[in-house]
Amino acid sequence: MWLSGVTRVFGAVPALVRIDLEVLPGEVVLVRGPNGAGKTTLLRVIATALSPTYGRGRVLGFDLLRDRAEIRRRTELVGHRTRLYDALTARENLAFAAAAWGADGAGVGDALRRVGLAELGDERVGGFSQGMRQRVALARALARDPELLLLDEPYAGLDERARRAVAELVGRVRDRGGTTIVASHDPSGATMADRVLHMDAGRLLPEAP
Amino acid sequence: MSAAERAMGRIVARPGERALGWAAAAALAASAVLSLAVAPPDAQQGQVQRLMYVHVPTAWLAYLAFAVVFVASIAYLRTKRSRWDRLAAASAELGVLFTALTILLGSLWARPVWGTWWTWDPRLTTTAVLLLIYLGYLAVRRLTDSPPRRARWAAVVGIVGFIDVPIVHLSVQWWRSLHQGPTVARLGGPTIAPVMLATLLVAVAAFTLAYLYLLALRLRVGRVEERTVAEALSPRIGRPAEDLLDDAAGAPVEPAPRGR
Amino acid sequence: MTTIRQAALVAGKDLRIQFRTRFGAAALLPFAATLLIAFGLSLGPGRALLREAAPGLLWLAVLFASVLSFGQAYGSEVEDGALEGLVLAPLERAAIFLGKAAAVAAELLLLEAVVIALVVALFGLSIGARPLDLAAALVLGTVGLAAVGSLFGLVVAAARRGEALLPLLVLPLAVPILVAGTRATAAAASGGAGSWLGLLLAFDAAFVAAGMLVFGFLLED
Repeated sequence: MWLSGVTRVFGAVPALVRIDLEVLPGEVVLVRGPNGAGKTTLLRVIATALSPTYGRGRVLGFDLLRDRAEIRRRTELVGHRTRLYDALTARENLAFAAAAWGADGAGVGDALRRVGLAELGDERVGGFSQGMRQRVALARALARDPELLLLDEPYAGLDERARRAVAELVGRVRDRGGTTIVASHDPSGATMADRVLHMDAGRLLPEAP
Repeated sequence: MSAAERAMGRIVARPGERALGWAAAAALAASAVLSLAVAPPDAQQGQVQRLMYVHVPTAWLAYLAFAVVFVASIAYLRTKRSRWDRLAAASAELGVLFTALTILLGSLWARPVWGTWWTWDPRLTTTAVLLLIYLGYLAVRRLTDSPPRRARWAAVVGIVGFIDVPIVHLSVQWWRSLHQGPTVARLGGPTIAPVMLATLLVAVAAFTLAYLYLLALRLRVGRVEERTVAEALSPRIGRPAEDLLDDAAGAPVEPAPRGR
Repeated sequence: MTTIRQAALVAGKDLRIQFRTRFGAAALLPFAATLLIAFGLSLGPGRALLREAAPGLLWLAVLFASVLSFGQAYGSEVEDGALEGLVLAPLERAAIFLGKAAAVAAELLLLEAVVIALVVALFGLSIGARPLDLAAALVLGTVGLAAVGSLFGLVVAAARRGEALLPLLVLPLAVPILVAGTRATAAAASGGAGSWLGLLLAFDAAFVAAGMLVFGFLLED
């Protein structure tokens, strides 16, 4: 994927400023930066949850502005907003996502097991702690087979077992030829990454040689 | 200089704007003379009937302005060029003005003629609903600070509201016809003398020119607003303000720069 | 997946959530009942006037309660950014709109069943002659309302502070539903509701079609 001059403005506040980025298929890229640097916005733009105010790009071969549905079909964004419905159970949330993405529900049970939530699969998500919710979101990604995986602070609030699930997820995507971009402070991210990028104040800092 | 000052310095009136203003003023003056002095008073309603020469033009403009909002909204959604959003917003503001005037004049006319402030006449009632839809349009514009979002949401309201108007009119018309009351007559009287018709047409033309002039003025203000935002954003992004104007994210994509 | 099946998926999800949260009945039903009592107190106690006004009061209650329900309809989407989930899902925007509107319509129909019973009891609304006409009017009117509400409910939810705006956005557009619904209900007692039902049908066709076309523009950011 590549981005050229991507700028995203909220009102009068620029969150992303002239981002030029190129990522090769199969890479695992780590993005670091202080809070407010724009890491989350960058991931959301790549995921097409947000459209760029200026600039253009191509993700997985599809135009960032024109072919958003194609990008969405192949991308999974795991962010700190878990996008879960409180009134539904973990299993129901995952089943809905699976159906929406055209996958069959077969992987749901397995995914829940991998994140250690198999027994709680039929409990409503509304009662879950933040860490548990994030694990459900992880399971949602595990139940799919995305070509592009976008992780936003995936380690926050997770125990050892869940961190392993994250590593497993990244490994799986990589094995199938997919690409991963992770935004994280956490040191765990560095070990997996092929490349490390730094962001500050909405800009992507030049990479170290 | 502040961003606003830089913007105002850059935006000048388009050619013909002043000429349009003078033409509108002249036409309005002519219309005033014709409607107040030249046209005869109505046989039944007397001098009050002269209100028609203002009421009908404002009604015409209320609906014309909304039609412009409709077309501009569709154009914006298709092209994502901010000029269409500016046009829609400007026309909507003027539309509120003319719609409110229409209702006020209709009310002033109804009182001496029919004895009530409000007649539930189908067209007047539809115009009242139109005013409310316009106000909703303007309110939606204030819901968000993001210009693309504001434009998109407003465009949807502008489109959906417009297609509602004929249905509203039909429903109110059928509703009114259930009770054949004295107000079934057109407010303008059943027949219209040639002199009155000519005066009416001059009035409509004059008011239309006035609308176009006000629209041009409001569009200029809109350009200043957009320019101000661009000037304020320019230093933070490191691009000249010109590049930020109407730089539609929906512009066609060039081939990949690195030959992937 | 075809559009209809996608819409069914979204509607199913919403209905399940509604069912678990008791259809928001805790708020909607008391509100509708309060409205009806208030109508009775302000217009009564003369039974003749109330009986004549009953069709209008029915539809007023439905309209105002529906505005409340539209605010709730996207409530589940706002918690924890589920709305972004809908944006990201490779579902057709028109399908999401249809699904949302269908779920809202179902909820409203349930509410209306109770409201009708209340209006019959409180104001002596007569249904007897043509109950099918009345049912048709309710269904058609509800579909139209659901279409409008699903559209503007999204705007208000995404703006996060626009709930006070919902009445202003919905009610003027819903004027034809109010007029046609009231007249059809009144005519149901004596016959002749046909053309009003036709008007409701035209409204529904226009707004469902329009909603399907523009929903995507509202959803994207």
